[in-house]
Amino acid sequence: MTAVFAPAEVRRRPAFSLGRWLEREGVFSWLMVALPVAFLVLMVGYPFFYGIWLSLQDRPVAKPGVFIGLANFVNDWHDPVFRQVVVNTFVYTIAATLLKMVGGLGLALVMNQDFRFKNLTRALLLLPFIVPTVLSTIAWQWILDPAFSVINWALKVADIADPGPSWLGNPHLAMFSLIMVNTWRGLPFYAITLLAGLQTISPELYEAATIDGAGRWTRFRYVTLPLLKPVIFIVTMFSVIFTFSDFQLIYVLTRGGPANATHVFATYAFDVAMGAGQFGQGASIALSMVPPLALIILAMAIYMRSEKS
Amino acid sequence: MRVSSRQSRRVFLQRTALGTAGALLSPAIARAQPKSLTMMHESSFVPPYDAFFKNKLAAAYEKLTGIKVNYDVVSVGSLLTRVTTAAENSSGPDMTAIGFNWAFLFDDKFLDVSDIAAEIGKESGGWYDSAQESVVVNGKWKAIPFGNIGQLMNWRTDWFKQAGYDKFPDTWDELLEAGIKLKKAGHPFGFELGHGFGDNHGWLYPLLWSYGGREVEADGKTIVIDSDETARAIDFCRKFFKETMFEDVLGWTDVNNNKAFLSEQISCTNNAESILWSAKKDFPDMAKVIDQSENPKGPKGRFHMLNPLCHSIFTHTKDQKAAKDFLRWLMAPPQAGAWYDVAVTYYQPFLHAYDDAPMWKVEPRNLPYRDALKTAHLPGWPAPLSRAQSESVAKFVVVDMFAKACAGKSTKDVIADAQAQLKQIYKQA
Amino acid sequence: MTVEHRGWRTRLLTLWLPLGVSLVFALFPFYWMAITSLKSNQELYNRKVMPLIVHHPTLKHYVDLLTETSFLEWTWNTFLVAVVSTAISLVFGAMLAYPLARMRFAGATMVSFAIAATYLVPQPLLFVPLADLINRLGLGDTLTSVMLTYPTLLIPFCAWLLMGYFRTVPIELEDAARIDGASRLQTLTKIVLPLCGPGFISAGIFAFTLAQNEFLYALIFLTKTEVRTVPVGAIAELVKGDVFYWGQLMAAALLGSIPVAIIYSFFVEHYVAGLTAGSVKG
Repeated sequence: MTAVFAPAEVRRRPAFSLGRWLEREGVFSWLMVALPVAFLVLMVGYPFFYGIWLSLQDRPVAKPGVFIGLANFVNDWHDPVFRQVVVNTFVYTIAATLLKMVGGLGLALVMNQDFRFKNLTRALLLLPFIVPTVLSTIAWQWILDPAFSVINWALKVADIADPGPSWLGNPHLAMFSLIMVNTWRGLPFYAITLLAGLQTISPELYEAATIDGAGRWTRFRYVTLPLLKPVIFIVTMFSVIFTFSDFQLIYVLTRGGPANATHVFATYAFDVAMGAGQFGQGASIALSMVPPLALIILAMAIYMRSEKS
Repeated sequence: MRVSSRQSRRVFLQRTALGTAGALLSPAIARAQPKSLTMMHESSFVPPYDAFFKNKLAAAYEKLTGIKVNYDVVSVGSLLTRVTTAAENSSGPDMTAIGFNWAFLFDDKFLDVSDIAAEIGKESGGWYDSAQESVVVNGKWKAIPFGNIGQLMNWRTDWFKQAGYDKFPDTWDELLEAGIKLKKAGHPFGFELGHGFGDNHGWLYPLLWSYGGREVEADGKTIVIDSDETARAIDFCRKFFKETMFEDVLGWTDVNNNKAFLSEQISCTNNAESILWSAKKDFPDMAKVIDQSENPKGPKGRFHMLNPLCHSIFTHTKDQKAAKDFLRWLMAPPQAGAWYDVAVTYYQPFLHAYDDAPMWKVEPRNLPYRDALKTAHLPGWPAPLSRAQSESVAKFVVVDMFAKACAGKSTKDVIADAQAQLKQIYKQA
Repeated sequence: MTVEHRGWRTRLLTLWLPLGVSLVFALFPFYWMAITSLKSNQELYNRKVMPLIVHHPTLKHYVDLLTETSFLEWTWNTFLVAVVSTAISLVFGAMLAYPLARMRFAGATMVSFAIAATYLVPQPLLFVPLADLINRLGLGDTLTSVMLTYPTLLIPFCAWLLMGYFRTVPIELEDAARIDGASRLQTLTKIVLPLCGPGFISAGIFAFTLAQNEFLYALIFLTKTEVRTVPVGAIAELVKGDVFYWGQLMAAALLGSIPVAIIYSFFVEHYVAGLTAGSVKG
């Protein structure tokens, strides 16, 4: 990095100089990105192509594989569980992301006000995000147990139902419960990231808008939202990516049950690749996540570029 | 643990014996052999069992041969991931504990230990048939079976008595009858129907078999799930679920039935010895009214789930002979016997020499686990270990067939679903 | 923040009510963890007593956790790993983000796509070849192995997030600095970075949290008790077969996360203060 640093007097010289060359956009940019890009290619490039290669083979674990082209993908297409997995993953991702987006933005706006114990509140709200997922999910195992859940307990005391709803045993409720746990975990990060975005908006803009007679909603709609857009966009896209490939939470709570009602790409791929030792088939399931994710990432790339001009 | 004093005396004797032998042998062996070996193991349900290996067995072996034996503990659910990584990359621990069909999945990467198995068999009264079913792949022993973690009926004697049952019902139909009464009395049953590791397969496969249903024939090819026997098993299961259980069992994983039993929600479940163990530790009063019994009989007999814990040697180990020597030493009666004792029948030996071992008298309620070994099979039985069979288990084909029926789907539909899945799975095999 | 006066009714509706609901939703599971960690097993499994109160609190689980497992060692490992991989990720992330946010250069779109494409690699499969790579580098069972692999998960997010924050800095500020004779690097370090403190803090919080949360790589690469991180250590030694050591697991969850929450709250406070200073200067 210090090599790039050019003293000011060097740049004032009219003839070609290293300093000036380094100041060119193309050169400076590539010097900056080269090292991290090389790192990523080294650490991820090989595994990625390895994964693609696996998906094109009939490849039992710890045994040599046989190239079979796209047969694994054809197989997935005819697998009824795979189809269910696709639907589940989309339901899970869309619902959880919407909840996190709306809730996170709301919470960020609320926290952007002045109030007593502000710092303490912020720290507390971050807790769900901080605690290791494997451990917090274990707590949810009790909270969602009808015999111990507060809701069931209340229903029982009020004499309405006993044992009441089965949070993980009923297929629809199980999906609902997982979405709630995912939202619980992800919401604080949304809120805190958007809060950081809100803090970068200059107060003068609000003052100017207020002087112009803008109300609360107008200020939000025409000042806050446009300025926050890049941050909202990125956080949302990443939330989609992480939710789409979520594994730990589901694996601990239901492992895809009851009867595949909560199986998603990552859990199903893991069961097939590890449990059944079918690396090729497992890779093809996992790689089926790529097209939708690639679309999202492409959208991000295009969006960020067009913002520039 | 009532065994402790007897056990420590035994260990003491054994260690002095080893010490003397070690003094004679160690200089010669130590020179030629590696300094250490690593055994990977699941974190045992019985903590003293892990401690015994680390503190006693490994120490004794080091004294004897100069070889340090490391003992890496991994949680039960994570062991397969670790074994896969080691096998795929041919690096990592020298030996590992393995589960039910891994001898087949990783057979290329495990040493043939038939010679050790033969010796141990001869030395310790011969192997149970189920030992071979668990680890013999293409005629070769790919692991040395250590113990079966059996799955039996765990039930509350006090509540069953109130419902008029002094002993555990002998057939599924009688159990259903008892369950109906017990559920009415506020003590439902709780059998796992979700996507756990073992407590679901643990009773659903035996149920299927005891009605005469099978996934595949013994040839490992012909799919026979679509049969009247299967249909009868499913019809029974649906009724059993509706009239003795509650909805939540459909989403259970292995931890739930322990929790439900210990919190007195259920009067009967299918589980390993862990419930009685935990009860003795934390709920001594409840422990007095728990009993364990073999699975009920169906029209076509009585069956149990085989859930073997075995030890394998990776082919990538630097000194294969050293690893084999250790495994042979480990399974010799003084060592293996002491190790079994520490876990007090939680691991049921596959060797007949231990059929009347003193540990069975420590807790007579565990005796059915020994007897159940005779009728225990791996999922997919009577087909041999195979890729397709592993896939069927990993995709929960049989479990979900029953679970969907319990959730309300028709018997015909759930069989058709399972049939379609099996066809797809076996076409590849 | 706002100049106008509000009635208590507005304040209740826009602040206290939503805040209260969020706090209950966010904190209830923690309350549950806390009481679980303080209950004896006899009480935990007792359905007859009200589950939301600890009737006979005990510190046994905490004592067991600290004496029978290497929890403190795991905590230290986790902290070390998280700090190092966060630092790497923020530096690399910024190096990627600034040119992508502000410069025109050949291959920019490709680079920005390639960064996030890291996430296209399915994690459930990634670990097998990565384990091979780690073995070849001779890094098995060292904390370095995860310090090197975690950034692959963290850099893309840091880079994209920082891109977003870099864009919120008015380009006029940078142009002015350049006209005053500052080099590109000076513009970045003296003008842009200070203004983006909040962005770095939120990216850092994210990276740190993900690093201390990670399970799969830590499970594969760290096999010895003394090099494990909290999630892997706790699951390996407190989940025995089908029996969970609930109290100790929950004690581990709380002991592991509350210090981090306190540290975070300082940071959050700091970036609010830092921002006010920055805007005055600008």
